[in-house]
Amino acid sequence: MSNVSDVIIVGAGVIGNATAYYLAKRGLRVTVLEKSEYIGNGGSSRNGGGVRQSGRHPAELPLVMYGVKNLWVNLSDELGMDVEYYQEGNLRLGKTPDHIKTLENLTNSAASGGLDVRMIDYKEAQSICPYLSDEVIGASWCPTDGHANPMLTTLAYYRAARRLGARFVSGAEVVEIRKLGGRARLVVTTDEVYEADTIVVAAGVASNKILETVGLRVPMNPALLECLVTEDCPPMFYQMLGTAMADFYGHQSKHGSFVFGGTTGYEPYTTYGGTPPATSGSAPGTCRGIIKYFPVLRDLKIVRTWAGWMDDCADHIPVIDTPDEVAGLVIGCGFSGHGFGISPTAATILAQLAVGETPVLDVSRFKYDRFKVRT
Amino acid sequence: MKRYDLIVIGAGPAGLSAATEAASHGLRVAVFDENARPGGQLFKQIHKFFGSKEHKAKIRGYDIGRELLKEAESLGVEVFLNAPVIGLYAEKEVVARHADGVRHYKGDTVIVATGASENMLTFEGWTLPGVMGAGAAQTMMNINRVTPGERVLMLGSGNVGLVVGYQLIQAGCELVAIIDAAPRVGGYGVHAAKVARTGVPFYLSHTVVRAEGTDRVTGVTIGEVDASWQIIAGSEKHFDVDTICIAVGLSPSTQLLKMAGADMAEPAAGAGFLPVCSATGETSISGLYASGDVSGIEEASSAMIEGRISGVAAAGKLGFADAETVETRLNALETALSALHEGLFAPRNRGKSVPLTDEGIDNSQHLLKNGYLADDEVAKYPGVKRVSGVHPIIECTQNIPCNPCQDACPKQCIKVGANIVALPVFDETSACIGCGQCVAACSGQSIFLVNDDIGDNLASVTIPYEFLPLPEKGDVGTALDRSGTPICAATVTDVRAAKAFDHTSLLTFSVPRDEYMRARFWKKGAAV
Amino acid sequence: MSAVDRTRDIGEYVPAQDDDMIVCRCEEITKGEIRRAVHDGMYNVHEVRRLLRCGMGLCQGQTCARLVKSIVARELGVRSLEDATARAPMRPIEMSVFANDGGGE
Repeated sequence: MSNVSDVIIVGAGVIGNATAYYLAKRGLRVTVLEKSEYIGNGGSSRNGGGVRQSGRHPAELPLVMYGVKNLWVNLSDELGMDVEYYQEGNLRLGKTPDHIKTLENLTNSAASGGLDVRMIDYKEAQSICPYLSDEVIGASWCPTDGHANPMLTTLAYYRAARRLGARFVSGAEVVEIRKLGGRARLVVTTDEVYEADTIVVAAGVASNKILETVGLRVPMNPALLECLVTEDCPPMFYQMLGTAMADFYGHQSKHGSFVFGGTTGYEPYTTYGGTPPATSGSAPGTCRGIIKYFPVLRDLKIVRTWAGWMDDCADHIPVIDTPDEVAGLVIGCGFSGHGFGISPTAATILAQLAVGETPVLDVSRFKYDRFKVRT
Repeated sequence: MKRYDLIVIGAGPAGLSAATEAASHGLRVAVFDENARPGGQLFKQIHKFFGSKEHKAKIRGYDIGRELLKEAESLGVEVFLNAPVIGLYAEKEVVARHADGVRHYKGDTVIVATGASENMLTFEGWTLPGVMGAGAAQTMMNINRVTPGERVLMLGSGNVGLVVGYQLIQAGCELVAIIDAAPRVGGYGVHAAKVARTGVPFYLSHTVVRAEGTDRVTGVTIGEVDASWQIIAGSEKHFDVDTICIAVGLSPSTQLLKMAGADMAEPAAGAGFLPVCSATGETSISGLYASGDVSGIEEASSAMIEGRISGVAAAGKLGFADAETVETRLNALETALSALHEGLFAPRNRGKSVPLTDEGIDNSQHLLKNGYLADDEVAKYPGVKRVSGVHPIIECTQNIPCNPCQDACPKQCIKVGANIVALPVFDETSACIGCGQCVAACSGQSIFLVNDDIGDNLASVTIPYEFLPLPEKGDVGTALDRSGTPICAATVTDVRAAKAFDHTSLLTFSVPRDEYMRARFWKKGAAV
Repeated sequence: MSAVDRTRDIGEYVPAQDDDMIVCRCEEITKGEIRRAVHDGMYNVHEVRRLLRCGMGLCQGQTCARLVKSIVARELGVRSLEDATARAPMRPIEMSVFANDGGGE
């Protein structure tokens, strides 16, 4: 098979797969190279599944709002697979006056960006989700937030792109991007050389190793993210949940299991060594958080915990750009742990950048060269 | 964090042996096990074990579990039961559940001895209630004291299928057949023979076509398979059963090793992944060992030795035993282990047809195809000699690692010799006194006492008997041959039970003189 | 590790008589669903699990992991496949018990 295509995408995560899908849909010849043996083996299969507008960085808010309005609603139909998208709102809970203050600040910031989000009292929160602990005194409420199944979304984009003729090669570790005539054109893996007019790097934390071969580097660090999943139980509620203190976040999936994430505070100090194992203290901490807010879940069994790396950028928002320095290259990385919710929009834009179209949204906040040393 | 020199995960034969060995060198050891009782699978196992004295041969499984625990605890090993290890994290951190909470421990060394779990097989109806693993049936019977059903088909003729099949009969179930897709009985011939002579048919080269029933199993259809494992049309046979037991092998429970990041590899493509281990069981992670079935399926006897090997290796690694002590001990253990790795069931013979015994005698194909020896081939083996007066007939015809019979005889009539897999030889020049010790000691129930002339043109046959209720002297019944076919009337002349026999009774019955070489089982009542 | 081109032809999905047979009992996933997933590009146990949840129920794949693996391998025409990842907790554990973390004493 010829190794020449119109676009090469490095990384078969949700961003890479979705970009491949949008490009293949335009009739382009697309090749996706994935280092892992498995599609979507990085953060795409290891996140909480939030499609959340509230609590977003202001720069990302337009991306996620665009996605919620235009892409997520029809995504299952478009991709021919149920990605288990639920738009049942997001409750961010507080138990103390300090919590409420934190929530009010977040709410005000999001509302000023045009999002429908407001503070509600316990009674209203209780009417939305009757399983709350009575220690909750208030919450922020964003009715248009939701969640989806990240593994299915990643695989649905993969499947749809593959059906449209996109070529995916797993176990293909990119060692170098090489220029031809001053333009990035060749992608060298451990056993093949691939060629394309445009190269999209969407390889999460592994992106820097590849970008370095053409002299680029995004200031980002791997940061651990840990989740747990429970046994399934009858449907209870489909809101996305979070707390002012970020003790935990999560939701009940279509399947009936609950997926929760949480932090220990020690994530930045976990060593980087390939596929991350879950740490021993994370799930217990998350469970304690959950029980405080949802005592009704205390006897539900945890069946699995997992961990993944976030590509945490210096300013915690991604790079979505065609860097001026290297022609023929598109960068989509540094999603900092909240890339899933904006993945349809980000991929739409990356596909547009790859073919030289003006993106549907302004992406000047996500430029590669925004990182300047303070003067 | 609470720290031990050694944490052992799994209190089965490998784990407890590892703990005992390590503690004997002065290590501070903790053992965690998810079950309420120690011994791993041993507690379910009510049969007498094979091997030699050092491997607890002729002791029943549950007693081995008790003994191993006693040894470990006498050396100060802390054994935590009802304490499933839920994770093996970085830096050998073990998280275990205790009642209503979890706790964290670290081990300077960790030995994973988590054993194995049963394989399942799919066929139409396999999810119906009544289809279960043979191990599950064993747990129901021997731990929970309920029978899994009334009429049972066993799929699998390996030792698990044969042993559990026998236990089903002991529990009062009707075992309608033992079937296996392979063309040969997979387990020890002696285990097969003790099932066959009760009248259970063996169908080799057969598998389950479908389990029948709507809410639960009400029947099963089996069929013969050709060389490419396809059902031969027209070969189907139906049985009314309410239970189908599956005994199609075990898979190592390697999850904790995988979670810890130990390298795994397949011995051959498709053979299944096992931890990559050194001779002492050390994995790719320094100080993390895999021992017993988790490192490759074997018998409990080898698991005990493997456990000890890892235990002494851990002692050496942490400086509790000097290099010379470790080497001497390892040499002795490895010699013992390699002795167990000889014979017909040696790892190198797996899946192979071995035509001759080590002694150069034909391995009985009849036994491998039907589950019992043909009448005319019994005399070929060195345990069978036709002499007058009372004497043993040892129908032990395969090279398996076992020798309790040799020690059992107070008159030294039986010899196995230094090579533990050699066939037992009956020395007809010695004076058998008919004490029956050998009959009770034989874990395979393959030794019978016969007396070719007890007067009135009758002979007597003494068989090992492990069924309840025990017959009584004077009971009239029927003698069955090795295939379980009724051959003649037989009257019970003696029933012997002794503490030394450990629940194996000796049942003596009389038969016409020309039947004593065929009569191998007894059933109450007249032949139908 | 070797590269696997997902355009590799593994042949058409051909319906089989036992496609309705449940393989993963916890999640009630059939043999046919697993076979179709392979033909949809899920070329290993990981992706099949992520797509269908087989082996991710209460028994954590104890029963079906080997069965799923052999179905996927047969469909791909390969002898050997990597196992699914093992993850804590090794036994399902109630949230309240997990939360009650006594630490290292």
